[in-house]
Amino acid sequence: MSMTRSELQDAARQAFGEGGLAPDAGRSWASIAEMGWLMMTVPEAQGGLDLGRDAAGVIHTELGRALVPGPMIAQMLVISALSAADDFPERDDLLTRAMAGEVMTASLARGEKLDCVPDADGASHVLVVSPSRVALVPLDGATINARDTWDKTRRLFDVAPVGEGFTLARGDAAIALSDRMDAQLLFAISGDSLGGAAAILELTIDYLKLRHQFGRPLALFQALKHRVADMKTWLSAAEALFWARAVDPAATLVEIGALKAHACDVYRAIAEDAIQLHGGIGLTMEYHCHLFLKRATLNAVLGGDGDHWDERAGRMALEVAV
Amino acid sequence: MTDALEILRHDVRAWLAAEAPKDWRATCTTHDGFLATQRGWFAKLAAGGYAVPHWPAEWPGGGRSLAEQKVIYEELARADTPRLMLSFMSTYHAASTLFEWGSPEQQARYIPRILDGEIWCQGFSEPNAGSDLAGVRTRAERVSRDGRDVYVVSGQKLWSTMGQFADQCLLLVRTSTEGAKQAGLTYLLLDLKAKGVTARPIHQIHGDEEFAELFLDEVEVPVADRLGEEGQGWAVAQSTLASERGLTLLELSARMRGASWRIADLIRASGREDDAGIVRDFGRLTTKIDATCALADQFLANRIAGEERVGDASLVKLSYSRTLRAFTSLGLRIGGLEAQYHEPIVFGGGMETGNWMADFMNSYAWTIAGGSDEVQRNIISERLIGMPREPKTWTLEAAR
Repeated sequence: MSMTRSELQDAARQAFGEGGLAPDAGRSWASIAEMGWLMMTVPEAQGGLDLGRDAAGVIHTELGRALVPGPMIAQMLVISALSAADDFPERDDLLTRAMAGEVMTASLARGEKLDCVPDADGASHVLVVSPSRVALVPLDGATINARDTWDKTRRLFDVAPVGEGFTLARGDAAIALSDRMDAQLLFAISGDSLGGAAAILELTIDYLKLRHQFGRPLALFQALKHRVADMKTWLSAAEALFWARAVDPAATLVEIGALKAHACDVYRAIAEDAIQLHGGIGLTMEYHCHLFLKRATLNAVLGGDGDHWDERAGRMALEVAV
Repeated sequence: MTDALEILRHDVRAWLAAEAPKDWRATCTTHDGFLATQRGWFAKLAAGGYAVPHWPAEWPGGGRSLAEQKVIYEELARADTPRLMLSFMSTYHAASTLFEWGSPEQQARYIPRILDGEIWCQGFSEPNAGSDLAGVRTRAERVSRDGRDVYVVSGQKLWSTMGQFADQCLLLVRTSTEGAKQAGLTYLLLDLKAKGVTARPIHQIHGDEEFAELFLDEVEVPVADRLGEEGQGWAVAQSTLASERGLTLLELSARMRGASWRIADLIRASGREDDAGIVRDFGRLTTKIDATCALADQFLANRIAGEERVGDASLVKLSYSRTLRAFTSLGLRIGGLEAQYHEPIVFGGGMETGNWMADFMNSYAWTIAGGSDEVQRNIISERLIGMPREPKTWTLEAAR
């Protein structure tokens, strides 16, 4: 990859690190398109930047850190599916438009139902995945119902499109593509979760250093320090696993799913304890703690929950260790 | 991974296929069997050039890069060879301290003997100096006896790993009570055959005797066997303790991953493959193990790149110790009543032997020894994260 991980990270922090948490959705989307992140994983021959999964890992981590709203994860699924699809007359045009920022969306839930679709009200197309066929269907005339999520950094919709749309893959190719989409989704949520976990942990540490009670900073109390040290340890190990699997071309869908379950466990645990460590202010809408908790709990159920992936990881380990 | 490393991996694997002991656990049900297994395997490794890859290049088998050491340890773990417990203190703690602080004479005298299989132990901890090591009270007084310059040492040492089998001891003693606690410490090399030394094994809760307590009654140690200057003992001891943070945890993590089949077997043997709760917990554990291995790998990569931060080693140790507890705990849970019936242990059999109650109790070795989890949490929060340090002084007045 032509850009190193840290260069990409610097660029992302410049774009999102200083604008505060949960920045404006429209401006964020414009920056994402402008920085070329939508074309990041697309081969050069198709007009992309041809960066690897670890580059996508950096972007999703940084978007998670800043709680950036918008349909980035869904859009990347559509772009990958178009890029991998058999050629059809409209494909290059659709791909070019998607990479330029025209919103095309996809479900973030597992299964065939088109619920949990981000920003569908402003999207032109939706990805429809079934075991026999993967298609991109225009949203003209579709039924689109907004769902009011606790996590206000994501806008989710139930969608019922009309018509067959463009076929991207059929039969075995559809199954393979669908698995690839699942792995990509799970990897993206892992990155988003670990970025968010790192951010709220840092904010919590800052708060403990700043806040004084009993004539001393809270950060001096060993009971609190040790909790923070545990969080830092679990986060560091999960991050190491994330980057190891990012550059491992042999990583299986179940391994990525297990990573996602673990990353979400870590995010949830850190976001949960962050509120406790902040005390009363952590319960106010004005303060940022709840934003992380809500995104963490939503992430935990996207793409299949921990129970699902932990069980599959356990089954796989049982098969391997015969 | 470069070609040279792949060639090394191939060589080590081929060598192990021919030389690695088979079914060695069966012979380790007695101390004699354990000692014979350990000594025999160390001698083979030394002859093969794989016993001390972390030593400087002028020693046979030394001069391996960290990346090469990693390959060797991964292969040793993969082949499920006996972990070198008996000689661990000798090749790591004793050798690295001698390389850093020993005079040329001391190095020439002691290092070759380590390669020949001489066993060292560590005499640091005491009944009242555990996590707070600087509180060492064992006294050493320098005197002249029959024209010889010696320290006369009296006191008690605890938790000397393999102390009852050792020939030599790395000894931390107090030569002064003036000034800061750390400033009065001195570091000696003690011959355990000297008059006045008694080593008594400590009976651990799972039936092993990996540690000894040492009683020192007016033991004479020649001044020539002092490492560093008088009063420099704390600094020398830090070198010894730092050597523990080598690739040990990388090797142990790899061995834990390699031992996952024991839990898989247990799940099958107890007919619980369809118990979704158990299968999930196993899945969650395997991911935690993978994360610990990835963290150990990343730690090594950072060290090779010169980017290791203070506290990084503590992250690896804490991640390992807690995951090992989770591993043995899950085994114990699935083992059920069967795991409650006493089975004799395998001496030096490793952290995951499938004797679940024993393994579970033995997992405390890593949450307490080598800097307890609580000490690691202090290091992580204070030195890595930068939270304020504990006040140094504590009095009853202040607590009121």
